[in-house]
Amino acid sequence: MAMVMDLDFSGYSYSTTTTITTSTEGDQGCNWNDWSPVVDWEALSGDQEDFHYLIDSMMDENVVLHQPVRSIQEGYNRLSPDTMMTDEESNSTEDSKGLRLIHLLMAAAEALTGANKCRELARVILVRLKELVSPLDGTNMERLAAYFAEALEGLLDGAGGGGGGKKLLGGGKEEHHHQTDVLAAFQLLQDMSPYVKFGHFTANQAIIEAVAHDRRVHIVDYDIMEGIQWASLMQALVSRKDGPPTPHLRITALSRSGSGRRSFCTVQETGRRLTAFAASIGQPFSFHQCRLDADETFKPSSLKLVRGEALVINCMLHLPHFSYRASDSIASFLTGSKTLNPRLITLVEEEMGTTGETGFMGRFMDSLHHYSAVYDSLEAGFPMQGRARTLVERVFLGPRISGSLARIYRARGEGDVCSWGTWLAMVGFRPINISFANHCQAKLLLGLYDDGYRVEELSNNKLVLGWKSRRLLSASIWSSQDSDL
Amino acid sequence: MFHPKKPSTMNSHERPMCVQGDSGLVLTTDPKPRLRWTVELHERFVDAVTQLGGPDKATPKTIMRVMGVKGLTLYHLKSHLQKFRLGKQPHKEFNDHSLKDASSLELQRNNASSSGMMGRSMNEMQMEVNRRLHEQLEVQRHLQLRIEAQGKYMQTILEKACQTLAGENMASGNYKGMGNHHQSVPEISGMKEFGPLMNFPSLQDLNIYGGDHLELQQSIDRSSIDAFLPNNDTFLMGKKRPNPYNNSNGKGPLIWSDDLRLQELGTAASSLGSQDDPFKADHQIQIAPLSADHRGNDIDSVSDIYETKPILSGEAMADKKFDAASKLERPSPRRAAFSNERMNTVISAGGMPQGRSSPFG
Repeated sequence: MAMVMDLDFSGYSYSTTTTITTSTEGDQGCNWNDWSPVVDWEALSGDQEDFHYLIDSMMDENVVLHQPVRSIQEGYNRLSPDTMMTDEESNSTEDSKGLRLIHLLMAAAEALTGANKCRELARVILVRLKELVSPLDGTNMERLAAYFAEALEGLLDGAGGGGGGKKLLGGGKEEHHHQTDVLAAFQLLQDMSPYVKFGHFTANQAIIEAVAHDRRVHIVDYDIMEGIQWASLMQALVSRKDGPPTPHLRITALSRSGSGRRSFCTVQETGRRLTAFAASIGQPFSFHQCRLDADETFKPSSLKLVRGEALVINCMLHLPHFSYRASDSIASFLTGSKTLNPRLITLVEEEMGTTGETGFMGRFMDSLHHYSAVYDSLEAGFPMQGRARTLVERVFLGPRISGSLARIYRARGEGDVCSWGTWLAMVGFRPINISFANHCQAKLLLGLYDDGYRVEELSNNKLVLGWKSRRLLSASIWSSQDSDL
Repeated sequence: MFHPKKPSTMNSHERPMCVQGDSGLVLTTDPKPRLRWTVELHERFVDAVTQLGGPDKATPKTIMRVMGVKGLTLYHLKSHLQKFRLGKQPHKEFNDHSLKDASSLELQRNNASSSGMMGRSMNEMQMEVNRRLHEQLEVQRHLQLRIEAQGKYMQTILEKACQTLAGENMASGNYKGMGNHHQSVPEISGMKEFGPLMNFPSLQDLNIYGGDHLELQQSIDRSSIDAFLPNNDTFLMGKKRPNPYNNSNGKGPLIWSDDLRLQELGTAASSLGSQDDPFKADHQIQIAPLSADHRGNDIDSVSDIYETKPILSGEAMADKKFDAASKLERPSPRRAAFSNERMNTVISAGGMPQGRSSPFG
C-alpha cells in the first residue's frame, strides 16, 4: 500500500520528459480551455493504494475500534514486535507495520484517557513508538505516527487539562522555526496542494458577489496571517465590471499579544505589505488592527465602523499553515460579530468525520484518518520531493496535529463537538448559497492539482474539499441579516 | 463571441423580424409584440439573479431593480424567471450532461411541433447552456488572474525575506543555525526557495515564446497588475509543461510561478552538471533530491540549484528595476514566461558573493 515514497528514484520516469529537450511541440496548446470541470472523479480516483485507505477500512470495520483489550498490559504485549509478525493479517510487511503503528497509537491514546488510565503505560508505549518511527523519514504512515506520538506525548506532559489560553500542546521542540523555513514551507504547501487557495478563493468569490454594488467594503479578519488571501480579492475588486467602480477596501485584522509562533510576519508587516500591494494595483485601501487581550475576547465596540460600508467577517480557521486557536476565542469572535450585523461571514474550517464518534478514541481515530488523507494528498502533489514534504509536515502539520489532539483531549467527555458551521447555524446566522461561479471556480482550481482532490457542495452554502473519500476542508458562507443581500 | 446555435429549421414565430426599441430592447414585429430575450439581455438577467442569490431568492421586482433596464416589465421578468428556474435545474451541475442536454435539445427542437412557446423555451434553455459555458470561461479567466495576484503577493513576501536575510547575512558572519539542524549554509538553505530565481531565462528568451501562448495571455498582459511585471508576465498560462510534481495524469497543468520557479531550477541544474543527492547531511528545506537519472530537467534537482547559488547581496535586492539579466543561465529553450523576472535579475545581478558553497561535496 501506501509506501510509494521510498521508491528508488533512479527507476523513476516521467512520461512527459521526452518533450523537454525536443522542440516546442509539446508545449503548445495546453489549452486552458481543455480542462473543463467535467472530470469524472470516480474513474480517476480509484486508486486505493494508500495507507489512508488502510485506516479508512479500519474505521469502517470497527474491528479495532471497539475491540476491548483485556487489559492494557496484555494488549500491549500482544502488540510487541515478536508476536506481531506472526499475527500478520495482511500480506505485505508494510501493511502490518502500518497496522502495528496504528495499534500502538491507539493503545497509547487509550492508556492516556481510557478506563484503565495508566500514564506510565502510555509513556512506555510512546517511547516504543518513537523508536520505530521518525518524523523525517520513512513512509507516510511512519512519519504521521511520529507526529501523533509526539502530540500524545505533549498531552501527557501538559496534561492536567491545559488551560484555555494554551494554544499549543506538544510539539514544543519544534515550536520555533526559522522564518525562512516557515516561508519556504508555506510556499511549498501552496504548490503541492490546493488547501490554501481553495479556502481563500471560495471565500473571496462569495465576498465579491455580496459586495457587487457597494462602494465601501470593510473586512474584519480573524487571523490574517500573511495576508495573501486579500491579494486576489483586491485584484478582483479592481477589475470588476459591473456595479460601481473599485470600492474602497478596509481591512481590520485582529492581532494578539504574544508572538505567533508559526507566523512569519507580524500583523503590522502584513498590513504594510497589503497597503503596498493595493497601491501597486490601484486599489483604494486602508488597514487597521484590532488588538485582543490575552484571553482573546473580542469586543465589537473596539472596531471602527463606517456608515454605508458592507461589513464582511472573514474567519479562516484550519488552513494547514494556521496556528491553533482556542475555541473560546473563536466563539467570542463569532458571537461578537453577530452583534455587528455583517453582510457576510466566510468560514473555512476542518471538516470532521461523520462517524458520530463522541469519545476521545473515536475522535482520535478520526483525526488520524484526517491527517493520513492530508499526507497522502501532499505526497500526490510532490511525489518525489520527500524532503519538501517533511518540511511542510514539520513546520505546519505537526503543530496542527498537536493542536487537534489537544482540542479533542480537552473536549473528551463533552459529548458532541460540533463544527463551527453548525454552531453558526444554531446561533442564528443565515446560510447563503454558493453560486455557480464559485463552485465552478473550485472545480477548476482542483483541476490544477492531483485528481484525487474533489469538491462537493454540501447543504447549499458550503463547499467541501476532500481527498479521495475523505472530506478535509469546508468553506461556508453566512449572513446575519434578514433582508436582501 | 459565441452564438446560440440555431437549427436550420426554425419555426415561423422565431423568425427574426426584430426591431430595437428605444431602450435597447428587442421586440419582435409580429402581431403580438413580444420581448426577445437576446443573449446580452439574458446575460444581464442571469447576472442580476446571481447577485441576488440565485433564482430561488430573486424576485421579479428585485431583478428589475438590479437590471435597471427600461421597458422591462414585471410580467416579462416573471415569465422569464419561471423558465429560468425550470431550465436551471438540469444544468446546475456542470458536467457532461449539460452538453448532452444541449444536443438533445437540438434534436427535440428539430422534431418539435411548430409551437411558438415550445420553440422559445427550448431556445432559451439552449441559450442557458451557452450561457453556462460562457460563464465557465469567465470563471477560468478570473481564476488565472487571481492565482497570479497571489503569486505576486507571495513575491513581495519573498523579496522582503530575502532582503532581511541578505542583510543579516552581511551584517553578521555567523549563521543562525537552527536548533537541531546543522547547516553548512544556513541562510542559504532558508533561501533555497529563492535561489532558483536566479536561473531564469533572459528577457529575450521570454519574448521568443510569447507567441506560443494562448490569446488569453494577452489579456493578462494588460491586466492592471502590470505594475509588477514589466513584461511578458504571463505566468505560464496555457503552456503545457511537464509538471514534475504531478505526473499522475498527462495533463499539462497550469503552473504558477512557484512551480515554474522550481522547474526553472531543475533545468538549470542540468547545466550545472548532475549530481545525485548532495544534501544528505542537510535536513533543510530542500526539495528532495531526485533522481540520479536526470532526464535532464525539470524534475529534479530543485535542490541542486538551491545549493549552488547562495545568497543575494543586499543591495542587489534593493534594485528593483527590471534588467534583462545578462548573467542568467540559459535553461531549456522551452522556458516561457514567468513572473519573477524582476526578482531574478536582481538576484543574479547580485552574483554569488560567497562562491559556490559546499554541498556537492
